[in-house]
Amino acid sequence: MNNTAVEINNLTKRFGNFTAVDGISLTVNRGEIFGFLGANGAGKTTAIRMLCGLLLPSAGSGRVAGLDIIRQFEAIKKNIGYMSQKYALYGDLTGLQNLNFYGSAYGLDKSYIAGRIEELSERLSLGDFLNRPSSSLPTGWCQRLALSVALLHRPQILFLDEPTGGVDPVFRRKFWNILYTLADEGVTIFVTTHYMDEAEYCGRISIMHRGKIVDRGKPFELIARHNADNLESMFIDLIKRQELTDEPA
Amino acid sequence: MNRLKFIALKELYHILRDPRSLLIVFLMPVMMTFLYGYAINLDVEDVVIAVVDQDRTDESRELVDRFYNSAYFSRPENETSLTDPEALLRSTEAAAVLLIKPGFGRAVERGDKFYLSLMVDGSDNALSAAVQSYANQVLLQFLKDRLPAGYILPGIQLSLQVKYNPDLKSSHFFVPGLVAIILIMISALLTSITIAREKETGTMEQLLTAPVKTHDILLGKLIPYIVIAFLDGTLILVFAKLVFGVPFIGSHLLLLLFGFIYVTTSLSIGILISAAVNTQQLAMMFALTLTMLPSVMLSGFIFPIKNMPFVLQALSHIVPARYFLTIIRGIMLKGAGLGVFIGQGAMLVLLMVIFLFIAVKSFNRGTA
Amino acid sequence: MFRAYLGLIKKEFIQVFRDSNMLRMIFAMPIVQLILFGYVVNIDVKNITLDVYDYDRGRESRELFDAFKAGDYFVPEDILTDRDAPPLWLIEDRFKKREAEMALVVPEDFSAKLARKESVTVGLVTDGTDANSARIGSGYAAMITRTFSQDRIDYTPPVEIRSRILYNPEAESVYYMVPGIVATILTMLTVMLTSMAIVREREMGTLEQLLVTPISTTTLLMGKISTFALLGIFEMILTLILGVLWFDIPFVGSPPLLFALALLYLLTTLGMGMFFSTVSSTQQQAMFFAWFFFIFAMLTSGFFTPISNMPRWMQYVTYLNPMRFFMSITRGIMMKGSGVADLAGDIYILAVYGLAIFGFSFLRFKKRTA
Repeated sequence: MNNTAVEINNLTKRFGNFTAVDGISLTVNRGEIFGFLGANGAGKTTAIRMLCGLLLPSAGSGRVAGLDIIRQFEAIKKNIGYMSQKYALYGDLTGLQNLNFYGSAYGLDKSYIAGRIEELSERLSLGDFLNRPSSSLPTGWCQRLALSVALLHRPQILFLDEPTGGVDPVFRRKFWNILYTLADEGVTIFVTTHYMDEAEYCGRISIMHRGKIVDRGKPFELIARHNADNLESMFIDLIKRQELTDEPA
Repeated sequence: MNRLKFIALKELYHILRDPRSLLIVFLMPVMMTFLYGYAINLDVEDVVIAVVDQDRTDESRELVDRFYNSAYFSRPENETSLTDPEALLRSTEAAAVLLIKPGFGRAVERGDKFYLSLMVDGSDNALSAAVQSYANQVLLQFLKDRLPAGYILPGIQLSLQVKYNPDLKSSHFFVPGLVAIILIMISALLTSITIAREKETGTMEQLLTAPVKTHDILLGKLIPYIVIAFLDGTLILVFAKLVFGVPFIGSHLLLLLFGFIYVTTSLSIGILISAAVNTQQLAMMFALTLTMLPSVMLSGFIFPIKNMPFVLQALSHIVPARYFLTIIRGIMLKGAGLGVFIGQGAMLVLLMVIFLFIAVKSFNRGTA
Repeated sequence: MFRAYLGLIKKEFIQVFRDSNMLRMIFAMPIVQLILFGYVVNIDVKNITLDVYDYDRGRESRELFDAFKAGDYFVPEDILTDRDAPPLWLIEDRFKKREAEMALVVPEDFSAKLARKESVTVGLVTDGTDANSARIGSGYAAMITRTFSQDRIDYTPPVEIRSRILYNPEAESVYYMVPGIVATILTMLTVMLTSMAIVREREMGTLEQLLVTPISTTTLLMGKISTFALLGIFEMILTLILGVLWFDIPFVGSPPLLFALALLYLLTTLGMGMFFSTVSSTQQQAMFFAWFFFIFAMLTSGFFTPISNMPRWMQYVTYLNPMRFFMSITRGIMMKGSGVADLAGDIYILAVYGLAIFGFSFLRFKKRTA
């Protein structure tokens, strides 16, 4: 069993004439927190959707949890958890009903689901919120509920697509603490974001711009390499330079 | 006045750009005209009747021919299963079975008493009554024609004269009625959806905070729909004339006048609905059920009001289509004049005032 | 994936019961339709307003008046109260105001001629606007005058027709509307719900979350469809119970056969619903498609007026409408007690439609979501 959780080579996705993801390659190790940093429309979501088996790549190859993303995407689904920016919960169902339903969707049996719900509810302090219709929950709690949905079946890898949009900094901090403990337990976390502070929490990041990875590394290494004060100025600088070189083409 | 024009133009632009509303505006009236014009037809014709001729004389054969040569009846597709008449009715292969027992020919010749038996599928009411009356007519004509030439039966002869629709075509009755149905549907549906959309997207609030009066907004939004309603009405009338050959005897101007009143009443229902709901979805459901259903069912469009139970008859008084139906049928088919419709017009205006009053009340409450 | 399948059905039901609008629709729809169609759909021609212009004022003409008054076909009104009253041009005026639908003109020599056993002509003027009433009304008038003169001159035609009306001898229109309502409600509910369901998940973003679970598209679809099929059958039972208890409609045939064929028919409606969901991107669009389909299906099914009345080409168009065949099945089973053999043709066509539409939409759906 090797130590690689995600490995992609030259992954490309075209929609008609538009290339959303343009030949990206990367490797993520087990237990790592890996971030995709980029502006809106940089291709982060498209990339993550290909890894989750929601989209078929136009070219390139990849393996998630040791399984081929083109041929074995059905098998991949059992090994990954996914949480999207929209917190895909049924608003008219309570938290508990949402969890029970998604549990059954993974084919888990009743007692297993009940056990996991207890565990997760304690860990994410969901408590009473489980019995309220999820549409009535504040965003922060929706986010936790969505995370618990993604964790229900003990996935090896967790894909988070802009997980903290619209959540206040205190909640965001708490959310990341939970992610750290998960990573310590060996769960690989793959996250996309356009928040700089969030990117700083990641073990390693790749910066995406117009479908390409323009730079990668540990956050502090990147700051040092570009002689910047912080991640934000580094990012703005990098994108500006990128646009200048892109322009003639 | 400038603002009004601006809002109206903006609305028109919205309608013309959205393929879905164009679909409602132009395709639906055409589809409905064809469907209602052809599918809803009370002229019973070509009823499939199976005739079992056990007599096998010249007379019986002539009677059978008369049945099938009349416009009322036609032959079943396969005549193999005549042994079990009830099975024919059960499988809907025939709507009636006529049995001519042996002895018919002789009875006709001698003038003896004789009975033919007719078995009718009563599961479709519209057919069963007509079948009996047609069968009697065919038989009576057959008997009459066998009387000596020049012999006139004593007693009462009816001389029939039919006014306005001498060929007794159902479509002359239904197609003008369709104008009433489609006008109210288009007006109420489109206005309630457009106002609900502004509410949904939050642009209504934007408009309301602008220094424009609520009634200016409403009026501006409504003008394009009045224009569209008239286009649709004309479209159906052209179809009525060209496709269904419905005559137009009365005054076009008079119809235009009442059409205007009716469309305004319909629009006021649309405003009432949009005042009550906040989503396009609900607006659509309300508009369809509150205009389509009563206008088709309770207006006398197909089903006579006087056959309904008392409560529904009372309810029909608040259905605007009821009044406009009388007006449009009267003007188009009978050439009736203004004097005849004062009462109907007054009711339309009264309904409009009531609907608008409630709508404006709830609008102000909802947006204040 | 049986667990996921049951989980889906459970979830769908929770959602239905949470949604008060949906619940209202499910329970109100059969009641409203039963009341409207049960009481309103009635083209019986009765109580025709008839103006009588009696220029004879004799004994016989009064008796003719009474003959028209008997029964509930006509409401005659004596227009000529004195000899110099307004003449015949009044007829059209009264027609235009809809104060009268027919007029009977009795000539001066009416009684005299009848007494001499001669032939006498009576005029019947009809407002033909409402073709159906006009036709049936003149039929009634002919029948009344025929009996009237036969009584006077002792003539009866040698041959008469004795008719026997099967299945619905009192011609109660509710009896044939309720089986039709069963078919329309089943169609409307299942097509509408199916077409909107998947689009709704897509709009809410939950479809994506479902697609990252190992649940297969087939399971997902089956879970949804089963729920709507169950709701449809429930709605059908509700309609039948209301129909039998409230309107006293007879149910002659076999209920199990009716339900079995309803399941067969559901293949078609669920298939149509799936198809609409693949061509719409919003719930509103889906609803629109469903509604258009429903209007077409209802008008060409023979629900209101017999298919045989339509022009020939329109009759061929009705073959494109699967509901037409199911309507003839519900009426056949409930009113006539038809069995499988009687309905073989309808069942065969319905099966072909069901498999084709369901199969096509299912494949299309799988392709679109994969």
